[in-house]
Amino acid sequence: MRRLGYLLREAWANIRLNRTTSLVAVVTTGFTLACLGVFLLIYLNVRGMAASLASEIKVIVYLQENLSEAQIADLRQQLEREQAVAALSFVSKDQALADFREQFPSDFELLEGLGENPLPASFAVTLAPRFRSPEFVRRWAEQFKALPGVAQVEYSQDWVENLTGLLRNLEGLALSVGLILSVASVTIIGSTIRLTLHARRDEVQILRLVGASGSFLRLPYLIEGAMLGGAGSLLALGILKGGFELFRLKLGTASQLLGAQPWLSYFPGHVKGVLIVAGVLLGAVGSFLSIMRMREAASL
Amino acid sequence: MIQLFHISKAYGRCQALSDINLEIGKGEFLLLMGGSGAGKTTLLKLLFGGEQADEGQLLIQGQNIGKLSPREVPLLRRRMGIVLQDFRLLPKRTVYENVALPLVVAGASGADTRRKVSEALRSVGVEHKKEQLPPSLSAGEQQRVCIARAIVNSPLILLADEPTGNLDPHLTSEIIELFKMINARGTTVILATHDPQVMKQVNRRVVTMQHGKLVGDQQGGA
Repeated sequence: MRRLGYLLREAWANIRLNRTTSLVAVVTTGFTLACLGVFLLIYLNVRGMAASLASEIKVIVYLQENLSEAQIADLRQQLEREQAVAALSFVSKDQALADFREQFPSDFELLEGLGENPLPASFAVTLAPRFRSPEFVRRWAEQFKALPGVAQVEYSQDWVENLTGLLRNLEGLALSVGLILSVASVTIIGSTIRLTLHARRDEVQILRLVGASGSFLRLPYLIEGAMLGGAGSLLALGILKGGFELFRLKLGTASQLLGAQPWLSYFPGHVKGVLIVAGVLLGAVGSFLSIMRMREAASL
Repeated sequence: MIQLFHISKAYGRCQALSDINLEIGKGEFLLLMGGSGAGKTTLLKLLFGGEQADEGQLLIQGQNIGKLSPREVPLLRRRMGIVLQDFRLLPKRTVYENVALPLVVAGASGADTRRKVSEALRSVGVEHKKEQLPPSLSAGEQQRVCIARAIVNSPLILLADEPTGNLDPHLTSEIIELFKMINARGTTVILATHDPQVMKQVNRRVVTMQHGKLVGDQQGGA
């Protein structure tokens, strides 16, 4: 316990004694992790937005003309038995006409000119979240199109595919940027620790003389790296929060009109925790690599 | 207590020690005399595990130092006190913290550390300086602090490499008296010096070295 206290005090003393270098390391790591955080924030918000939009996507099963009540009930039963179907609603020909009139009042005269109601009855199907992949929706639509009584199956294919593609690209981008910036953070913290080690070579030798073990000498530097990384990630979270609030403020009324506001959200608690832990780990790794490189020179 | 059998050590082409045979008894005060490059420092480094001999065997209390693993070297050093010419004190730590270092690395308790540090500082006469930083002390005081650090964990062996090299004759005399006092308590003291004044004052066994070889071994150096 006493040794742990000593090691923590040593790590803190290292930071205090090398204030400028430590500050530069924390600020640089903070901004580096903030860049990574921007991508993560965009990714999480787009994913949230996509999930919200995906729940709106419906597959419309249009029925053939002149189907009997029994045939319609039979089709309903078939759809309800499907595991992929989360919700189902029937839109009769009359209902379809009423909906059209409501949505396109100026174009309604065109339909009146035709005499009889040309709009088909349909089932609006909401698929369960795990069955919303473009491949599944396409397969499912083709399968139901072949059923007797079904005239056409339509869904917003392009929208589903584009959204999935966008998410996949964002994921890849976030991962690549994250990887590059993580390496940058490790290098920055590693360099700081290396400077500290250079500056304190004499001290390390003195501790060696009085019987300090290798781990006793190395641990304060590992703790120092972890502290710098943790401080960097806290700074990054602060920068991101500031930037996020500013962005929301700038977006203001426009986003409210577009209905975008509810989608915008900052990191939830567990993601913040992950970011802090990531900073701590990156710092410790940077420190560890420096110690390994300096081992011989600094008698570690 | 300490036995060296046919010890040799070279740095590249430079032969630092050649076929050294030496036996040092428990509680002895031994002066290693010799000019610059005689091999005194190398011999001391072998004793505290700072270097490994190329040939020969070095035993301390029957333990073969040459066969120690890197993990065992710190344990060996915790049984020793080391005093160097350039003091080697941490400049940004107080006198108290410097002296407490060997106890902290050995994991001693807080109460034990406080008691032993106070004792060590009192015995070398710098207890009143315990809150000061080393750079604010005189050379003699710094060497006293260094000695306090070396004896704080009651070592079996005290190694000193030119401990009076940076001191004037008056301070040299005071420091030598401290080593004699420590030796009188039962600690084996091995002191390397080139200074004849030290030899006269100590007046114990003197081992003379020259170009890495033992060239003399006599009782009462004067």
